[in-house]
Amino acid sequence: MSSVPRRIDDVAELGTDEARRSWLATVWEFSRRRPLGAIGGAIVLLNLIVAVGANVLAPYDPVATDYGAMLARPSAAHWLGTDAYGRDVLSRIVYGSRTAMLVGFSCAVLGATIGAVIGVGSAYFGGRVDLIVQRVMDIFLAFPLIILALAVVSILGAGIWNVILAITVPMIPRAALVSRSSALAIREMPYVDAARAAGFRHVRIILRHMLPNVMAPYLIMLTAYLGQAILLEASLSFLGLGVAEPTAAWGLMLRGAAVQFAESAPWMAIFPGLAISLAVFAFNLFGDSLRDALDPRLRTQ
Amino acid sequence: MRHSLASRWLSLVVLASLSCALVGWLAARSFAQDKPRSGGELIFVVPSEPPSYDAHREETFGVIHPLAPHYNTLLRTDPFDRTGTKPVGDLAESWTVSKDGRTYTFKIRKGVKFHDGSELTAKDVKASYDKIVFPPQGVASDRQGQYTNVEAVQALDPNTVVFRLKFPQGSFLSSVASPWNWIYKADILAKDPRWYETHVMGTGPFTFVEHVKGSHWVGKKNPNYWDKGKPYLDGYRAIFVKDSAAQVAAVRGDRAHIQFRGFSPAERDSLVQALGPKITVQESPWDCVLLVALNHEKKPFDDKRVRRALTLALDRYQGSQALSKIAIVKEVAGVVVPGTPFATPPAELEKLAGYSRDIAKSRAEAKRLLKEAGVPDGFSFTFKNRGIPMPYEPVGVWLIDQWRQIGVNVRQEVVEAAAYYGQVLRPGNYEAAMDFQCGYIVEPDLDVYKFQSKEISPANYSRYTDKTLDDLFTKQSRAQDAEERKKFIRDFEKRLLDDEAHYLYTLQWHRIIPHSARVKGWTITPSHYLNNQLDTVWLTQ
Amino acid sequence: MTKYVVKRLLLMIPTLVGVAVLVFFLMRVVPGDVVELRFAGESSFASKENLDKERARLGLDKPLWKQFVDWMGGIARLDFGVSMWTGAPIIEEIRLRFALSLQLAIMSTLIAVLLAIPLGVLAALKQDTWVDYAVRIFSIAGLATPSFWLGIVFILMLLIVFKWLPPMVYTPFWVNPVQNLAQLIWPALAVGYRYSAVAMRMTRSAMLEVLREDYIRTARAKGLWEKLILSRHALKNAMLPVLTVIALEFAFLMGGLVVTEQVFNLNGLGLLFVESVAHRDYTLTQALVLLVAAVFIFVNFLVELAYAWIDPRIKFR
Repeated sequence: MSSVPRRIDDVAELGTDEARRSWLATVWEFSRRRPLGAIGGAIVLLNLIVAVGANVLAPYDPVATDYGAMLARPSAAHWLGTDAYGRDVLSRIVYGSRTAMLVGFSCAVLGATIGAVIGVGSAYFGGRVDLIVQRVMDIFLAFPLIILALAVVSILGAGIWNVILAITVPMIPRAALVSRSSALAIREMPYVDAARAAGFRHVRIILRHMLPNVMAPYLIMLTAYLGQAILLEASLSFLGLGVAEPTAAWGLMLRGAAVQFAESAPWMAIFPGLAISLAVFAFNLFGDSLRDALDPRLRTQ
Repeated sequence: MRHSLASRWLSLVVLASLSCALVGWLAARSFAQDKPRSGGELIFVVPSEPPSYDAHREETFGVIHPLAPHYNTLLRTDPFDRTGTKPVGDLAESWTVSKDGRTYTFKIRKGVKFHDGSELTAKDVKASYDKIVFPPQGVASDRQGQYTNVEAVQALDPNTVVFRLKFPQGSFLSSVASPWNWIYKADILAKDPRWYETHVMGTGPFTFVEHVKGSHWVGKKNPNYWDKGKPYLDGYRAIFVKDSAAQVAAVRGDRAHIQFRGFSPAERDSLVQALGPKITVQESPWDCVLLVALNHEKKPFDDKRVRRALTLALDRYQGSQALSKIAIVKEVAGVVVPGTPFATPPAELEKLAGYSRDIAKSRAEAKRLLKEAGVPDGFSFTFKNRGIPMPYEPVGVWLIDQWRQIGVNVRQEVVEAAAYYGQVLRPGNYEAAMDFQCGYIVEPDLDVYKFQSKEISPANYSRYTDKTLDDLFTKQSRAQDAEERKKFIRDFEKRLLDDEAHYLYTLQWHRIIPHSARVKGWTITPSHYLNNQLDTVWLTQ
Repeated sequence: MTKYVVKRLLLMIPTLVGVAVLVFFLMRVVPGDVVELRFAGESSFASKENLDKERARLGLDKPLWKQFVDWMGGIARLDFGVSMWTGAPIIEEIRLRFALSLQLAIMSTLIAVLLAIPLGVLAALKQDTWVDYAVRIFSIAGLATPSFWLGIVFILMLLIVFKWLPPMVYTPFWVNPVQNLAQLIWPALAVGYRYSAVAMRMTRSAMLEVLREDYIRTARAKGLWEKLILSRHALKNAMLPVLTVIALEFAFLMGGLVVTEQVFNLNGLGLLFVESVAHRDYTLTQALVLLVAAVFIFVNFLVELAYAWIDPRIKFR
């Protein structure tokens, strides 16, 4: 097995070449060289498994109240204790990861991708298109996130899809801006001009030349947004603008009773907070290392 | 050396004298603690800021808490009475009621001065009440509807004001003792009736110093206050703090002495645990309650069997026990705040549907009623709740859980607080919804007004017409004998909650005020709009 | 250069107008209005005629386009009108809160930059060593922790351990610097720590790119300090994305710190925002959005100037 990393010049090469090496080997390679990223990735995977298998993994129904066991300390019956209504904290965290993963991935993928498309396109076509797109993006960027979220929630009501919309909309212009500045740098490169002069179609130029070099900031944004979306959902729920009771969501668990009982029943606030921090932490670590691994210009050797 | 008898006797005398002196000094000190001390600045936190300075047009406690100390009312509730129902004179020295109960004559104190030095006369009282009861064009009076019974207000001479009513009204004195009816200066009102929305000028124990928006409000002792010797405080400072955790931190970190609205049980416990004897806790049933409005215009809530089933399903006593640990609710009550003159005694309350201690029997009856009404198994509906965490959330969760016990599956939909009244309740956009009733003074006329037919009461969100109920309301309002009135109120309650189950009462709110032990002279009442003049409040060393 | 500056300045105007239009119509699409909330709120005694009278007084009964034109006309004269909720002039409502939010934004950005740049450079120089790992973990922890959680923990710690609470009332810096800082240092630390994470990663990756340059690599034998000195010109270029991030975040700091303000009880623009939307106070919300947008656009403008100064090629696009 070769231990010298190869330069990958073209996105198209990735598919065929990597398929020849077993994916296990790649993973092993990655973990060995970037332990932090591997840990992050493992945690992300764990989160996904928990989210998907929530029905099986959670010991209790997350919305089942039990007024006989309100605010119970962590014990054998309730590993992480119960909340103010006697609901099992562990079960709520397990189901909460479902909400978090759904919100996180939807917002991040939608936001980063739509934003990247807009940003790269805008940079590539330049001229008036660029100017107009920039103005529109600027308008949305100048808008405080909270107002958009409030407006969306007020008009459409609470609920998970409205939350996703409320979080994705402000992400798009930010992604567009970052993608655009990376794409701009490439656009200046002589080979792009040469390609245009040679008459290659726009789409091909964008895909073959600009996209690979925007890939690095795109991946960073994606993983950063994953974490940010989870945090934003938590903030919105904290303010009462996110998903509503009795849905299990980490941000919602941190509100109200958790703060009031912070001293007498700290497990209510500690575990959801840890869950959020861990998830966001993992996404960022993994994303960082993934980007380091894929960016050809950052090879250490 | 042998102590002589004389020297021993001498030491005994000295010792005895010293002990007596010590005991006497300690006794004097402890008495001194109970005797009001002048001086000090009271600092309190207020969760909400006043939108304008005119209480006649506002309805939020955010106006009362910082501003009430600047004004006087004609009557007020006795500041030392825990039920908050005893009217005593503020600007009125005495009053008489005519035999037919339609004429009220008040004698105004002499020598009361406005903060600008001018003297207060009956003319000012009349002008203020004219503004409240008969507001001029373009002037809003928030409680105008409560004074429809007032025919006229007259100033007979500089010290006498007369109110003429259309019908006798047992609650009229309470209406006059309303904490919102500040007496303004007639001359100013004549020039600009909206002046008081942006200015402060009254006769109260404290004068206005400053209001920094979003930050704080400062008042200073009125040296010419008509009640000699009062106020005891040198001044007060109201700090606007919206977040409840920050309010608790303020009291705990000794940056504020008190918060006049109420804290949750968990907040009280954390303060008591942290500060021990430095904290005094006062608790009382609160004149606020969460209700379930069942939209009679939507099937099957037009069927009283279904409504009765829904109230029978609620185990209010268990709910009280469980929820009082985590929320600001506690007492199981009917339409009148427990502990006040017109409240139904608990033994009698248990006879009403949904108030029985035998919950198994109640729930069996509920299931039977649902079957009889033809409601299918696994019946489900949407319950709309308001997006305010305390106590809407815990009560909502509890209700859904209770209804599940009789096989009804309820889905909760939480609506943003600002949109709730406009988008849900007023347009009738719901099957069942959380409604809310908060009185500023414990008085059945005010507390049960909304339950009259929808033609009379726009706040009747169950949207029913019930002429019997309206009739009972009028009867209790016009009753001049207390016992007679009690009976009519009891009948009203039975019809509202039991026979027809138009509305479901959940649990009475519970007011908890943990405050610095240094604050004396303030007594809790069921209303967070009362007893905020601060003239009787003093601080120990 | 002047032409570029003028061009950029002119471009700010359509953005501002765009923002104004968007917020104006967005607010009116959201259901509910201020009159209803203020007077009919929870009690029921307000009659419909009274409500309509109030609406007329606030100008809410005029056709939409006329309201918009009136408002824009006012803005052009720098008259922002009065708050629909309190009736007080908008300038008065915003003044003190703006000062606080601005100070907090500046302090947080300073802390973020002071943390991020040295840490980012350090992590890049010592890439893949435990120093790099430690720095990255430290900074990502800042990103990952919910700000309100951090705030609650801060306050609780101050209360329980030090039995001390920061001052609750805002005093401007020139009035009483000690009290001013005693109040604002805690939220500035909480916020600054979080923002340093993003900036740190950008700095690190920018630094790494620079270090890959051939002429730097050949200087490897000369040691780290030499590398730094040689790279400072290229570093200027690499700082572009970092600048972008900082600029974006600064504007966000002005109006978006809602949760932080709530937890630390700060009388800032964030909470004013939430309140004005909850009250459907159109004039105040519109004014606030314009203000934040103006700050954002202005900061953006400065960044674009910096871009042009650092990389002159950009000017000619």
